Amino acid sequence: MVPVRRFQVPLLALTVGFVLADSAIVTLALPAIMQRLDGTVPQVAWVLISFNLVLAVCAVPAAWVCDRLDQRVCCAVGISVFALASAACALAGSMEVLIGARSVQALGGAFALVGALELLVSARGERRGVGWWIAAGVVGTAAGPVLGGLLTQAISWQSIFVVQVPVAALAVPAALGIPPLRAKSTERHRPALAPNLALALLSAALTAALFLLVLLLVEGWRRSPATAALAVSVIPVAAAAARPLVRGVGATPRVEAIAGTVLIAGGLVGLALPPSAHLAWTLAPQALVGLGLGMTVDRLTAAALRDRLPRAVHGGWTIAARHLGVVAGLLVLTPVFTHSLQSAQGPAQDAIVALVLDAPLPASDKVAVAQALADRLSAETDQVPDLRPAFRSLPIAPADRAAADDLERALNDQVQRAATRAFRDSFLIAGGLALLALLPLSVRVSRRRAS
Amino acid sequence: MSAAARLRLFALPIGALVLVAVVLLVQVANGGGRFGPTALADPCAARPAQSGAPTTLDALGQRLVLLGLDGAACRLGTSREALTLDLAQDHSDPSDAQVAALRAGLLDAIDDMKRDGTLPPAADLVDQALDASDLNAFAKLAIRALPDSVINQALPTDEVLRQAVEDLDVRALLTHLDDGDQLSTLVTQAVTKAVQETLTARLHSLG
Repeated sequence: MVPVRRFQVPLLALTVGFVLADSAIVTLALPAIMQRLDGTVPQVAWVLISFNLVLAVCAVPAAWVCDRLDQRVCCAVGISVFALASAACALAGSMEVLIGARSVQALGGAFALVGALELLVSARGERRGVGWWIAAGVVGTAAGPVLGGLLTQAISWQSIFVVQVPVAALAVPAALGIPPLRAKSTERHRPALAPNLALALLSAALTAALFLLVLLLVEGWRRSPATAALAVSVIPVAAAAARPLVRGVGATPRVEAIAGTVLIAGGLVGLALPPSAHLAWTLAPQALVGLGLGMTVDRLTAAALRDRLPRAVHGGWTIAARHLGVVAGLLVLTPVFTHSLQSAQGPAQDAIVALVLDAPLPASDKVAVAQALADRLSAETDQVPDLRPAFRSLPIAPADRAAADDLERALNDQVQRAATRAFRDSFLIAGGLALLALLPLSVRVSRRRAS
Repeated sequence: MSAAARLRLFALPIGALVLVAVVLLVQVANGGGRFGPTALADPCAARPAQSGAPTTLDALGQRLVLLGLDGAACRLGTSREALTLDLAQDHSDPSDAQVAALRAGLLDAIDDMKRDGTLPPAADLVDQALDASDLNAFAKLAIRALPDSVINQALPTDEVLRQAVEDLDVRALLTHLDDGDQLSTLVTQAVTKAVQETLTARLHSLG
């Protein structure tokens, strides 16, 4: 352990948190990005996928490079590239530039992450250094959507990237100021398969909570990004509370990870079964997911790193596993969700027609409402339609306004019902992915017992 | 391993399972899993009876059309909503089967309303009909001066409506679903013609 200045470790940890938060930080900003940059749905999906894919692919090679070079330089260069790419994201004028900048951001982030692991260990020692790195990653992952949603609502989507630049700029001298570990081990251990596989499966499952839930809240239930951000803040709060809550129980790390996996799976199933579109119904399932996240990701990451050298390379493997899991989750769940959304359109359309037909309105008003709704639905194919604008310009007589307002509320309720149903299968599949993570955890137990 | 150690080992997974079970039970008990688009009514099954007879021409027309759509959808083996969407989306070319089913559905609707006692007497609607008509003021005044009993006897609502449905150009009606004025004109023409034909038939029967 080396003497370090007071802010170096927090700054490095904050950078680790930001890099991992970037995985999901733009989720709530995607509608604004799509509108501002005139993008398509597949393009905005690649704003998410590109970052996670590049981070997953580059984490281990970056760790190999850092293991052979000066870790300070490696980390500082990574943070600098990350900061410059973040600025480029904020200035992007097209989807192509944004996706490219996100890829470069992830490349820099990969070097920053694996370099920071070694520097934190150098500054704080093995146990506490790894603990700082893991905790920063867990908090960053869980808090990403919240931070992104609040910044998008309060300022703009560009501010998500702008705020990262000064933090990263301060972290560069902080990284350069921490002397690297002097003694480099020549030992080479194989990656820990079971915890990394479990991390990948859980990350794929958590995609539903970190990406799809915010989409459900904003696009399906028409909540503002700020409201959605506050609602999903339950996950990071519960994740942070998990460790103090379970500390006294005295379970082994593996048992803790198994219990956390059960909580994540149960929370995701709970998100698939809300009794209504009231935000309150998401809170308890989110709390389960958050508690599970806090009990699994850190334990599994620690298990993947424990007694394995080179540490940065094994840290890289955990990053690769987690972000490959995110990419796999996006690639598996997005088509399921899209297909479910298309399947939900028919029943939703029928329910909307039934409401318009039975509404206590004059026939001429019904024809006008039907035409306005048809225009909205044809303008918003393959997404959850926003029917509210259809009612804004309707020439409804004052005497019929109350009935028209009731109809609008009932129609929005049907859209919310259809959207909720459309997300259900994705949440259930995500719950299944979480349960699959029990397999590598169990296999490892039996092998240990056998040995 | 001691019992206490074993309990500590399993306490966390058991606690997690209990927490999950409680959350899921509360969700399901409050309707979780059933929160989806409202199921459509069976068009072949009678809908809950509407209380009282419609008091306006618009309300009468709407009730007949809704019941008629149910009858047509039942005949075609689809839902009222799917038929409506089908007609609205392909109104340029409704099929013969759709036209025939809708006409039959409307005739059934008149019978159903008569049976339920929800068809208003003609005298209740004559003022609105006259307001909407292009008769001269003198004729309107003369008709308004007639006692209700005479109007109701001369123009039984079910007969007028049945004749109107027979006279109605359903295909033309379906091609103008998005044109409220044209719809109104077609219906007014059919009703006016039906009134004339019913009155003529009455006069013939008197002779």
